[in-house]
Amino acid sequence: MTLKSTERATLAGLLSARASGSGDAVAIRLKRRGIWLSLKWSEMQTEAGAVAAAMTARGLQAGDHVALLSENRPRLFTAIAAAHAIGAVAVPLYSDAPAGEVGRQIKAVGATMVFAENQEQVDKVIKVLPDCPTVKTVVFDDDRGMRHYGQSGLASFETLVEQGRGAASTASAAVTPDMPAFVFFTSGTGDLSSPVVFTHAAAVAQARRGVSVLGLTDEDRTIAYLPPGWICQMMMTYGQALASGMSIWCPESSDTLLEDMREVAPTSMLVTPRVLDAIMSQVSTRMEDTGGLTLKLFNAVRAAAEKAAGAGSSAVAPPPGFFADYMLNRPLRDALGLSHLRAMLCAGDLLDPGMLMLFRNLGINLKQLYGTTETGYLLAMQGDTAVRTDSAGRAVSGVELKVDQAGEIVARGEGFASGYLGDDAATAALRTDDGWMRTGDQGTIGADGSVQIVGRGDSIGHLADGTRIEPRMIESRVRTSPYIREAVAFGDGRDSVCALIDINTLSVGRWADDNEIPYSGHADLASQSKVYELVAGRIAEVNRALAADPATAPQQISRFVLLPQELSTEDEMLSRLGKLRRSAIAKRYASVIEALFNGAPDVALERAIDESGLHTHDDEHPARLRIGDAPVVSSGQTRSAA
Amino acid sequence: MDTYEILFFVEVLVGGLLAGVMYSLVALGFVLIYKASSVFNFAQGAMVFFAVLSFVGFMELGLHFWIALPVTIGLMILVGVATERFVLRPLVNQSDDTLLMATIGLAFVLEGAAQLAWGVEVRRLDLGIPDVPLTWLADLTGIFVSALDITAGVVAGVLVAGLAILFSKTKAGLGLRAVADSHAAAQSIGIPLKNVWMMVWATAGIVALVAGMLWGARSGVQFALIWIALKALPVMIIGGFTSVPGVIVAGLIVGASEKLAEVYIGPYFGGGIEGWSPYVLAVIFLIFRPEGLFGERHIRRV
Amino acid sequence: MNVIAETQFTDRAYPIGGPILELDSISLRFGGVHALTNISFNVLKHEVRAIIGPNGAGKSSMLNVIGGLYTPQEGSIHFDGKPLSSMNPGKAANLGIGRTFQNIALFKRMTVLENIMAGRTLFNKANFLEVALQMPRARREEIEDREKAEEIIETLEIQHIRKTQVSRLPYGLQKRVELGRALAAEPQILLLDEPMAGMNVEEKQDMSRFILDVNDHYGTTIVLIEHDMGVVMDISDRVVVLDYGKKIGDGTPAEVRANQDVIDAYLGVAH
Repeated sequence: MTLKSTERATLAGLLSARASGSGDAVAIRLKRRGIWLSLKWSEMQTEAGAVAAAMTARGLQAGDHVALLSENRPRLFTAIAAAHAIGAVAVPLYSDAPAGEVGRQIKAVGATMVFAENQEQVDKVIKVLPDCPTVKTVVFDDDRGMRHYGQSGLASFETLVEQGRGAASTASAAVTPDMPAFVFFTSGTGDLSSPVVFTHAAAVAQARRGVSVLGLTDEDRTIAYLPPGWICQMMMTYGQALASGMSIWCPESSDTLLEDMREVAPTSMLVTPRVLDAIMSQVSTRMEDTGGLTLKLFNAVRAAAEKAAGAGSSAVAPPPGFFADYMLNRPLRDALGLSHLRAMLCAGDLLDPGMLMLFRNLGINLKQLYGTTETGYLLAMQGDTAVRTDSAGRAVSGVELKVDQAGEIVARGEGFASGYLGDDAATAALRTDDGWMRTGDQGTIGADGSVQIVGRGDSIGHLADGTRIEPRMIESRVRTSPYIREAVAFGDGRDSVCALIDINTLSVGRWADDNEIPYSGHADLASQSKVYELVAGRIAEVNRALAADPATAPQQISRFVLLPQELSTEDEMLSRLGKLRRSAIAKRYASVIEALFNGAPDVALERAIDESGLHTHDDEHPARLRIGDAPVVSSGQTRSAA
Repeated sequence: MDTYEILFFVEVLVGGLLAGVMYSLVALGFVLIYKASSVFNFAQGAMVFFAVLSFVGFMELGLHFWIALPVTIGLMILVGVATERFVLRPLVNQSDDTLLMATIGLAFVLEGAAQLAWGVEVRRLDLGIPDVPLTWLADLTGIFVSALDITAGVVAGVLVAGLAILFSKTKAGLGLRAVADSHAAAQSIGIPLKNVWMMVWATAGIVALVAGMLWGARSGVQFALIWIALKALPVMIIGGFTSVPGVIVAGLIVGASEKLAEVYIGPYFGGGIEGWSPYVLAVIFLIFRPEGLFGERHIRRV
Repeated sequence: MNVIAETQFTDRAYPIGGPILELDSISLRFGGVHALTNISFNVLKHEVRAIIGPNGAGKSSMLNVIGGLYTPQEGSIHFDGKPLSSMNPGKAANLGIGRTFQNIALFKRMTVLENIMAGRTLFNKANFLEVALQMPRARREEIEDREKAEEIIETLEIQHIRKTQVSRLPYGLQKRVELGRALAAEPQILLLDEPMAGMNVEEKQDMSRFILDVNDHYGTTIVLIEHDMGVVMDISDRVVVLDYGKKIGDGTPAEVRANQDVIDAYLGVAH
């Protein structure tokens, strides 16, 4: 049985077609205990069928919601397939979310079943159960440490497979394309995330669009490592795998990603700007260690990338010389496992033009893509050759984009969300009167069809004199330094731009080792004047680049502080995808930000208060934070230099 | 360069490499013990002398070559076992300097014992392989290489390769590396320290015997054999004190370079360069690459 | 009504059994210094047993007596009911007593995986020739060793450093690797010498979790000495308190906390 790519279908139907058509092909591979294990399409179908039967026996019905708390694991996908097989709705959540958030989301969809990866996730679910009376069953994957749990509603995945094996397989014919398949929560940096519903038809349409735009076949491999609760990751793995037959590879752990990537050599993968920063930071560090000719070459490539990025409107990666290609690009791509990569798609945040060109100069086909949770993951994408670095590319085939009267980008096409779960008013407001779907993003579309996103409301500000500033743009430039992990720029309503800087402990630590600067940890490093000088130097470079363009010249960073503690997801300074949570950061560091703008030489940082009302272990932090000055290029200097 | 010069160059190079294999062999004895006990074994030269003198002594007593050989091997194993029992075991957990002094003492004991038992006169060791160029090789290629050199090179090469495999691939090798890193840790996981030491010293003894036989066949069995240990020093510096592949390559480098230097640069210095050119090379390495070819670098704190 | 009721813990998979180790009137002297005086206590199968005490109380000496590094002048040790005489570290290893060291004793020039594989030494029966020729037994052993090592690597969450040379690792991870190597020998008793010394709060929590996991998962009897009172009280079944080489308390953490001698000698003393 094969399905035509235009036929309306369900995800369950696509899986059956794979299992019967190419059952022996590998669907998912997982590295465990150093070995790549594999799951074939036919095995996945059989296992999902068994689990579906067991789920039915436990009272799960079509239309019920199954929440999933897991990293990318074969059984996560099998559990989704099982839910789909009986017409239930899969609700992938972010497994690193705190219990409170998980509880709110389970409650919001009224999930009756929860799939949890391991003891840690089960504990989280048990903690919120009193608030979530709808949950009847919790299924767990990894049984380590689970022996102590005696609850009757708790079952291991193996148990379900065992119980369902004998039962008659539930017919997937009952599932129709118009039934809901997925609920994704908007990842928005705001405090509220809304549940967005996709039907089978919409999910299939989205996945097929991705497959045709990217030209995926069953020979392709993708690596699954970003949160499955993010629509981009889920559709680029499970959705596209079902639609194309490609295989999904799950790394051993998030810590082994780079090593595993080398073994996978993916042909298609999703990244975020943070992941690129991390990869490049590691590459730079290794290059510094290697030194010599390779380092010189790398620095030349990097400089060329910066230059190309500065060129703005339409940049083409220069073809590398044979020498550079042979000496640097190929070995580097091999070392990273990117030799076979056809497209690396970046979503989730603004991609720095310098980073884009750097990857392209290294011969890695990095592309920014554009989509929103509501419209699916793929509305527009940059091309293979020349790109406008300030643009998210053109609308992909099958999608129409336009800018409405209010300057908002709206979209038309298949595969969009059917609405917000349980919120008819918001669902109605999602579409314009003439039926286009809103993206919530301000932007422009050029004559050549290229889309430029100006950004969501919160990322643009104005200095006291009315000059427009774009903190996200400034931050992404500062972040390209391997020594800087995060930067948060402020300036709205102020006279100048100042920034909080979060240094990269590993690379700054190495740098300190090389320069024989003793230090005892992150906080100590971040308090050293030498490190301040190091960061000031990098900011000075950024300022020079900003000064080169009259539009960005006023946005130079004048003062900065190195934060004594890393910004993290745990203390809610970063979102699940690693985006800055500006309002939370502004609140936490209010006194520091005030001091940045009032000219004080240093500032006392109040201790953070954790949930229990106790002071967190801040004792190791210095009492006062130093404030650093960065050299700003005045407009007069730019002119004289020009 | 005409054909003759090229052939001559190749001849010198091959001669140098064959001598180099023998240097590797001697240095290997040092490396084994250095790895297991972290001590530069001053007695290695004495072991070479003791081993081959005993071998010749047994033959003089009328033992056949193929009987004298296993008997001497047995004797060297006995020396290894005794060294572990009477020198190393009492000195467990003592400083490296103490161990170094102990090996100097061991050197005197072995030299004395050998001369006491077998006398002091220089002896000839005939392995039945003539030290003349192989005619068929000369006819075929025009290169003159001694049959003895070839044999020595092949024997040393086989032994070196065998030991390299032994210590890199097998449990014994793992045990050796473990003991080299941490005695306490090795014991705690049941690696028997004394067995490893006995094995290493016995192996070093056998290596010493083979080295002694090959050198002795060329230049006579005499007290001066203890000085070949000095040749091993630059080899170890270049190769790295703890690296088996390192000393193999370094031995070849030293052998080839000293012969080539002797022939091509020697005349400008009035000859005799062979004796000291390896040390110049070693000094250069000490300056630019103190860890040696394959030795461990000092690892930066992360 | 929720189907899933309050969390209810079932019993341990390896219920605490009879004494596996009995120390009777142990006295240890170095020259004229009395390191341990007339100490008796036992360790029960599958329990987590802590030895605590102020600096210089004789904790390490006690552990080294059990580990066979020191031979006490007086007293006897019974292992599984059988008397032990003339102990040494090798013998201890053969009996199934594994250990870690206060100042980490790893094979620094080997990788994490090699270190853990090295812990399997005692399980390998294949001789030199079999290994060299890759005979079936040698191959089988190697596969078994690797599987066991990988299981431990997963348990201790150190997959990302599998191929990293140990000397490059930060202190906290080295401690974890050392625990892994000891586990590779599948010991009956695991002696941990200050497993959390020099760690930050987070690392201590991780290490506590791993120790409890090991005890829970493999039923390994654990004897640990530790300076950090808080951690010890949280993870131990029973605690022995030493002071100046003498035993001053023995019991559950709650009993020890309530013991007046212990309070005077240890808890009451400001550190």
